Amino acid sequence: MTMPLSLFERIWARHVIVPNPQGEELLYVDKNLVHEGGTFLAFDQMRTEGRTVRKPKQALAVTDHYLPSTNRATAPASIANPEIRRVVEALDINAREFGIEHYGVHHARQGIIHVIGPELGWTQPGLLIACCDSHTATHGALGALPVPIGQSNQLRHVLATQTLWQKKPKTMRITIDGVLGKHVSAKDVILAMIARIGIGGGVGHAIEYAGSTIRAMSIEGRMTICNMSIEAGARIGMIAPDDTTFNYLHGRPLSPGGGDWDNALAYWRTLPSHPDARFDRELSINASELAPMVSWGTSPEDSSPITSHVPDPASIADSEKRSRVKRALDYMQLTPGTLLDSIAIDRVFIGSCTNARIEDLRTAATVVKGRKVVIPAMVVPGSSQVKRDAEAEGLDKIFLAAGFEWRDASCSMCGGSNGDSLAPGQRSASTTNRNFEGRQGPGALTHIMSPAMAAAAAVTGHLTDVRSL
Amino acid sequence: MQPFTTLTAVAAPLDIAKLDTGMIVPGRFQRLPRRPGHNDYAHVFLHDLRFDEQEQPRAQFVLNQSAYQNAGILVTGPDFGCGSSRESAAYATLDFGVRALIGASFGDVYRGNCMQNGVLTIVLPPDIVNSLMRQLQSQPGTTMTVDLPQQTVTAPDGTQHNFDIDATRKERLLKGLDDVGVTLQYLPQIEAFEARYRTDMPWLKHLI
Ligand code: SF4
Repeated sequence: MTMPLSLFERIWARHVIVPNPQGEELLYVDKNLVHEGGTFLAFDQMRTEGRTVRKPKQALAVTDHYLPSTNRATAPASIANPEIRRVVEALDINAREFGIEHYGVHHARQGIIHVIGPELGWTQPGLLIACCDSHTATHGALGALPVPIGQSNQLRHVLATQTLWQKKPKTMRITIDGVLGKHVSAKDVILAMIARIGIGGGVGHAIEYAGSTIRAMSIEGRMTICNMSIEAGARIGMIAPDDTTFNYLHGRPLSPGGGDWDNALAYWRTLPSHPDARFDRELSINASELAPMVSWGTSPEDSSPITSHVPDPASIADSEKRSRVKRALDYMQLTPGTLLDSIAIDRVFIGSCTNARIEDLRTAATVVKGRKVVIPAMVVPGSSQVKRDAEAEGLDKIFLAAGFEWRDASCSMCGGSNGDSLAPGQRSASTTNRNFEGRQGPGALTHIMSPAMAAAAAVTGHLTDVRSL
Repeated sequence: MQPFTTLTAVAAPLDIAKLDTGMIVPGRFQRLPRRPGHNDYAHVFLHDLRFDEQEQPRAQFVLNQSAYQNAGILVTGPDFGCGSSRESAAYATLDFGVRALIGASFGDVYRGNCMQNGVLTIVLPPDIVNSLMRQLQSQPGTTMTVDLPQQTVTAPDGTQHNFDIDATRKERLLKGLDDVGVTLQYLPQIEAFEARYRTDMPWLKHLI
């Protein structure tokens, strides 16, 4: 009798080369994504050791973190900061020298690593995908097994061997049921989930998101959900592939074609969790009750419905949590009891691997259409293709007419690596995934939310319940 | 990775508690390239302790004193290498010429990274570390010996101290095998896996 396996267990088992149920197992890496930030150390070390990339065709290099979001025609030569320029140039040199395909600044399909993988059809169900980035779980939205790795030694190990030593995590299923209300999106679902289980809630677990809300969601929405798994402490987040996944992948540039498609599809259909699969933890969420969410603190778990107030630390029983929240509110310069929708905002950023896909831009454009921004606001599409698609639909015109800046694909103000950052004390409404202290620049105050909510803040100048516009 | 067997070298006392990886390699040097044979990270090792704002060596700092110029062993304060996981801290230690660290405790990730790069970290009881520290301070420039096969440290006064090390780590250091070297010992299994995989997943054949 075979054990009824979950999606995660099935793919994991398929990739074990050297089993070791008690400790680390040697796993096969089907595909490996490399970006420019910090990874030059892995290549430098390989050079020092005289090593080569064992399977260069299974790797893809992408420049995204350090790339400017404007004036790119002459980049990287025109990048003023010499350190940033060197990091961008290093990946180009390393990819060429080690024989890895590179989607650099002038490649037509350049974009944020977690946006272009799925968009190209490079990300596929059942694959074990390693990437030296904490938001690798995004790829799990298509039913791949995503494994985030370190940028130096672990990346070097994957490049040199095409394998990875990993201890199998525990499993957790989060079942999300119900129909989402108007202007309530995937971002609100995941923020509500993180607010509920906390940033440590998923540590040591591979999460599978299931339920009717997920099944009804587009691939874009599913990616937003999986993307933020790490914000609940889980390195792996996955969703079973279904017809939505297969329709999304069909005909993409790197999807299997012809007879290969039929073979792949037959295999992909075997992946979803068996109905009797057991999980170490189970949790369920009623999505029909959710309101649009915004963060008020310095961790994604510090999020609440827009209809509520900045919490009062004095009312928190747990002393550790009380002092953390107090510290967060001090940093965020917020007074307990303040209505969330009265908080004034200085800048709006719509972008990042969480929310800069075409669907996100469509939603934001619907909100801003016919309105004007009252504070500086920008849209940074997640990929060059998203940018072209948006322009083909005329979304750029809507954003520009409303007073938004319309920029080129990069991580931009998500982490500020490329120099796009907030000034100290500036407050942003951002569609990103992290509101950590200093994440968008030293002293920056970040509120994270959905594209619709960020768009609403742009046209009113304060946090706003988009449903009231 | 260079194998580690026995080492006799000048030992320097670095009597600072909780010296974190951010002090071993300050953040602003994190983007420094590392070229083969250049020991690029030697200069940034403990940079802000060794140099002042004008890039002048701080004369008082122990590693700047002539007796310790060629130190290959460091006796360290507790929790050396705690803090961020930056692997450059291990590179800097190695590039500077240090092959062995002796202390009462070390940062976990730093310790793993050191071993990975051929730098042996030895944990001894705090009173023995203190005694070594005192001996080195009273006889600047003296040498010590680390014997990995025997798992002993010989103090300047000739006393021998035994140390523990995980058997796998010991074997890797003795043979100069880092984790890539260890994994490549499984190459036949990896290749067999790939051959099977190509048959089972024909749509991935062009890649694998
Ligand atoms: S968009 Fe932000 S979270 Fe995503 S990969 Fe870039 S820096 Fe990381």
